[in-house]
Amino acid sequence: MSQTESPYWNPKTETLPKEQLRLLQLAKLQRLVDRAWHTSPFHRRLYEKAGVTPDKIKTLDDLRRLPFMTREDWMACQAEKPLFGDLITRPEDEAIRYHLTSGTSGRQPLRVLDSRKDWSWIADMWCYGFWGFGIRPDDKVFFAFSYGSFIGFWGAHYCCEKLGCLTLASGNMTTEQRVKQIVELGVTVVCATPTYALRMGQTAEKMGIDLRRDGKVRRVVVSGEPAGSIPAVKKMIEDMWGGKCGDTAGMTEIGTIMFFECDHQPGGPHIIEDHFIEEVLDPDSGEPMAYGERGERVVTSFGRGFIPLLRYKTKDLVQKVPHTRCSCGRTGDLYEGGILGRVDDMKLVRGTNVYPRAVEAVVREHPEVEEFQIILSRKDNVQDEISVKVELKPDQQDCWPRLQAQLGKDLADAHEGLRFNVELAAQGELPRFELKAKRLQDLRPQY
Amino acid sequence: MSNEAKDLLGNVLTADERELLELYTRLKAMSARDDLPPVATANVKQAMVMLWNACNDLAIVHEEPGCD
Repeated sequence: MSQTESPYWNPKTETLPKEQLRLLQLAKLQRLVDRAWHTSPFHRRLYEKAGVTPDKIKTLDDLRRLPFMTREDWMACQAEKPLFGDLITRPEDEAIRYHLTSGTSGRQPLRVLDSRKDWSWIADMWCYGFWGFGIRPDDKVFFAFSYGSFIGFWGAHYCCEKLGCLTLASGNMTTEQRVKQIVELGVTVVCATPTYALRMGQTAEKMGIDLRRDGKVRRVVVSGEPAGSIPAVKKMIEDMWGGKCGDTAGMTEIGTIMFFECDHQPGGPHIIEDHFIEEVLDPDSGEPMAYGERGERVVTSFGRGFIPLLRYKTKDLVQKVPHTRCSCGRTGDLYEGGILGRVDDMKLVRGTNVYPRAVEAVVREHPEVEEFQIILSRKDNVQDEISVKVELKPDQQDCWPRLQAQLGKDLADAHEGLRFNVELAAQGELPRFELKAKRLQDLRPQY
Repeated sequence: MSNEAKDLLGNVLTADERELLELYTRLKAMSARDDLPPVATANVKQAMVMLWNACNDLAIVHEEPGCD
C-alpha cells in the first residue's frame, strides 16, 4: 500500500488495541507528571497541596489522584506573575509562537507560548484529523480565517504545509474575494466555521456561482462552533458545497485539536488517544460517567512542552461512545454529536468565547448606560447572533449614535473581532434586579 | 545504538524506526552545537523538530517537547 492510500496518519498508534493504548498513555502520563513536578511551580503547588508526588502514578487509575486544573487557577497565576505566570516550563525566549484567548473578566486573556516542538506537534494533531478525513498532498486547501492572535486554524495551516498541500491563506479578503479565489484556483478543501461556510455559500449564490457546478471542493473542514456536529447544518453545508463536511474541535489552552471526524462520518469525532486522555466526569461530583452519559470533558495533553495540561476542566459537555461505533478501524473513542454545550455560563458565539461578565466590563466603561441586556439568538436556524440592548440614562439620549458605534467597537475589540448588534432600548424597557442579575437571554435552540 | 532498542510499549524497534531514531539523535546533537553558522543551526533545528515529531508520534521517544 502506498503511503497516500493509508487511511491513517499514524497507523501504529491509531489502531492500537485498547490495552496497548492504555499502556502507552500510562508511560506518557508518568513522564508528564514528573516533568510538570520538576519544571512548573504552578503544578508543583497543586500537587503538594493534594499530597501527590510523581512516584504515586503507577497505574492509569492513579490519574484520579491528580487535582483538577482550572482556567480560574491559570488566570490567577497569570495575574500574580504577569505575563505568563509560573505555569510555563521553559524560558520565554525559547518560544516561537504567542497566542491568546478571549477573557472572562474584562480584558484578561489566557496567554500561551509554544516552542518549535510544540508548534510542530500542534500541526501534527491537525494532520491526524486532515489525513483521517481524506485530505492528501494533492489537495488545494483554503483557509477562511483571519490569522490574528486567536489560534483558530493556525495549526491547521501548518498541518497542510506539512502534508504538502497547496495552502491558501485568505487573511483579510472579503467574502466575495474568497469565493472567487476558491472557484478560480479549483480549491478542493475549505476550512471555516460552520457559520462562515454557509455564508460563503450564500454569497456565492448572490454572485451567480453554483459551487457544486463551478467549484471543485470535496471536503469542508469546520471548527469553532457546536453546529459542526449538528446533522442538519452539516447537510446544508454539504448540499451547498458538494463535498463532505467534517467536524473538528480544539482549544487555545491545548493549541490544537483533540478530536476529529474521520472519513466514515460516524456522527461524532474520534479522540486522539495516543496524545490525550479524555475523561468524562460528573461536573459536580467529579465521578466518571459511563459510555453514553453526558458529562464534563476533563483533558490531559501529552503534547505541549511549554504548558503542561493535566486534568484540565474544560466545562465542555460531551457524551463518549466506544470506538466500535465507527467502522474505520481507529481505536480512539468518539464523542457522539461533538461538543454538546457548556456546563457553565460561557457562551460560544461564532467560534468566540463570550462571558457575560466580560461584556458587562466593557459596557460599564460607558457611564451613559443605565441598564443593558445580552440576547443570544440563532438566525435562520444556523447563524448565532449576539445583541446588546442598551438603556441610556434619561439625560444621555443625545449620545446614542456615537455610543452605539463606540460600544460596538469596544465589544468587538474585546472578543477577537466578534460583531455585536448594539440596540437602543426604550426607557424602563429592560428588567431591573435586586439580587443577582440575569442579564443574558440565550434564545438559541438547545441540543 | 543497540539493536534491542524498544519503544514506549516495550516492542523492539523496527529497522525503519531505528533509522528514524538514529537520524533524530544525530540531528539533536548537531542542533545543540553553538559553533555552526546560523544557516546550519536554524535549519538543523527545524529538521530535528520534524524528526522528533515522527519519533514521538510513533512512541519511539517521549522527551520533553519544550526542549529544542
